[in-house]
Amino acid sequence: MAAGTLYTYPENWRAFKAQIAAQYSGARLKVASSPPAFTFGQTNRSPAFLSNFPLGKVPAYQGDDGFCLFESNAIAHYLSNDALRGSTPQASAQVLQWVNFADSEIIPPASAWVFPTLGIMQFNKQATEQAKEEVKRVLTVLNQHLNTRTFLVGERVSLADITVVCSLLWLYKQVLEPAFRQPYPNVNRWFVTCINQPQFKAVLGEVKLCEKMAQFDAKKFAENQPKKEAPSKKEKAGKEAGKQQPQQQQEKKEKKKEEKKPAPPAEEMDECEAALASEPKTKDPFAHLPKTSFVLDEFKRKYSNEDTLTVAIPHFWENFDREGFSIWYSEYRFPEELTMTFMSCNLITGMFQRLDKLRKNAFASVILFGTNNDSSISGIWVFRGQDLAFTLSDDWQIDYESYNWRKLDVDSEECKTMVKEYFAWEGEFKHVGKPFSQGKIFK
Amino acid sequence: MALRELSSLEKFLGIKKLNKYSTQGERKVPVLQNNNAQSLVGLATISCHLVHEAKRRELLGDSAEQRAVVQQWLEYRLTRLDHCSRDEINIILKELNQYLVDKVYLAGNSITLADMLMYYGIHHIIMELAVQQKEKYLNVTRWFDHIQHYPGVRHHLPPVLKLPFKKR
Ligand SMILES: N[C@@H](CCC(=O)N[C@@H](CS)C(=O)NCC(=O)O)C(=O)O
Repeated sequence: MAAGTLYTYPENWRAFKAQIAAQYSGARLKVASSPPAFTFGQTNRSPAFLSNFPLGKVPAYQGDDGFCLFESNAIAHYLSNDALRGSTPQASAQVLQWVNFADSEIIPPASAWVFPTLGIMQFNKQATEQAKEEVKRVLTVLNQHLNTRTFLVGERVSLADITVVCSLLWLYKQVLEPAFRQPYPNVNRWFVTCINQPQFKAVLGEVKLCEKMAQFDAKKFAENQPKKEAPSKKEKAGKEAGKQQPQQQQEKKEKKKEEKKPAPPAEEMDECEAALASEPKTKDPFAHLPKTSFVLDEFKRKYSNEDTLTVAIPHFWENFDREGFSIWYSEYRFPEELTMTFMSCNLITGMFQRLDKLRKNAFASVILFGTNNDSSISGIWVFRGQDLAFTLSDDWQIDYESYNWRKLDVDSEECKTMVKEYFAWEGEFKHVGKPFSQGKIFK
Repeated sequence: MALRELSSLEKFLGIKKLNKYSTQGERKVPVLQNNNAQSLVGLATISCHLVHEAKRRELLGDSAEQRAVVQQWLEYRLTRLDHCSRDEINIILKELNQYLVDKVYLAGNSITLADMLMYYGIHHIIMELAVQQKEKYLNVTRWFDHIQHYPGVRHHLPPVLKLPFKKR
């Protein structure tokens, strides 16, 4: 069974193909999509990355065994099982047929239509209208095929469904409003069924189908423009739409590199970076929670600047909002694997780094107890909301399974004692049975 | 017939324990004999019980709404499908065909007991359908074909050919 890492920027539909395939096959796939593991525009331009993936494009896959692949379809194929790839020569050829169909028939018009609505490509009425017609043609073909079929190939989900669904994702999200998609009931039925399979859902989350056709977003487009003269957007759209001759592309790459040298990478707005930038930034996973009276930042200031026992902790309990926050005890599950103290500390700080985006909504004190080769890690976490925040965002799930989590009863003596001891880094730590070694604060 | 259905269901669920069944009355209603407890009567009741025993609750629907829809189709199966006259067959096929326009499964987005019992119950009807009718009730044909290919479902029933698509 394949096991490895997929490098990509977050929410990349090309990466989704591989991620969903892995959900079906059980391939163990880590996704590196955010710092420090992966920073789009930096990591993929580093010499180390380029030596494995000469194009510097993502998604890119590196197996734990060192095996490297680029091109999303190849990666998805590799991470599939036989059932997904098609288990007869006919079936696997049909799968290939639909995968190529997606790339050559769906993606070009889909990009031409959707990108302007995301503000990452100039709007051109004629081009958009033409793209709409092409999309209609594609949907008609699919609708006809699915008239008598449940899935594209055979009677089970295959890589064909995964690929075509992912290729239609932006269309369904941005522009295929009910009236536009109504003539294609078979495609709609199939699409909705697919995105609701647990394996798709695990990767895509809840997909909200378009209610009103998005139009050109001129404001965002203007914002997305680099300050200085851009090296022609059209050229880039062309890269997406019609594949250029390899040679030309090579030349362009070269040119791009030269141009770029003096300018910091952030200045160059690539279509993919733009797509990245245009992701709904305010996907605040805590948005659904009611307002709270407990100002975490204020507590953090008190904690940093004033005495913990006499100021910060009393402030904490005076202002704590039990409705809006919860307190958790966490314990590292594999203490027997902890060796050197400094390595254990890196484990904690690494986790904090990965949870960076959580800082606004959490506070924690995590402590390493004991000595080399005889230690344990445990901590007290204060989270916005009543549930473990990790499940709210994929980025946050990396470490949390390595810990046992127990929600504390805010009124209990146990909770009061733990908060006091863990925040102050002193006390009996009765339940631990090892002396305090080092503490780390997440704030 | 119901007993063979139950035995197929047991296989699908991977139930190893040997259940003892009998039938009751003219309509041969299935009865699950239970040595030390009360015996259970009726296809839907026994099926649901088996699903619970096999700890496959998702087959009864994965939300309150879906559970209701599953029960609705079990009832439909027993009250409508099992007692329909020749004339009613077409009405049932039409209803079902309309219902399945935008659905792959009868309830929710995965197979449930509703699909299985409807499949078992409608099999003899689909067997008899002429090609033109299969084309007329295309959504039923598609659904039926999908369910009969679902691993572990078909057991006691012969496969039914979908449509001679290749021509045309
Ligand atoms: N055909 C490739 C396309 C990959 C691709 O174009 N990746 C873009 C992101 S959308 C990229 O990594 N661009 C970085 C660059 O060109 O430096 C695939 O499907 O994997």
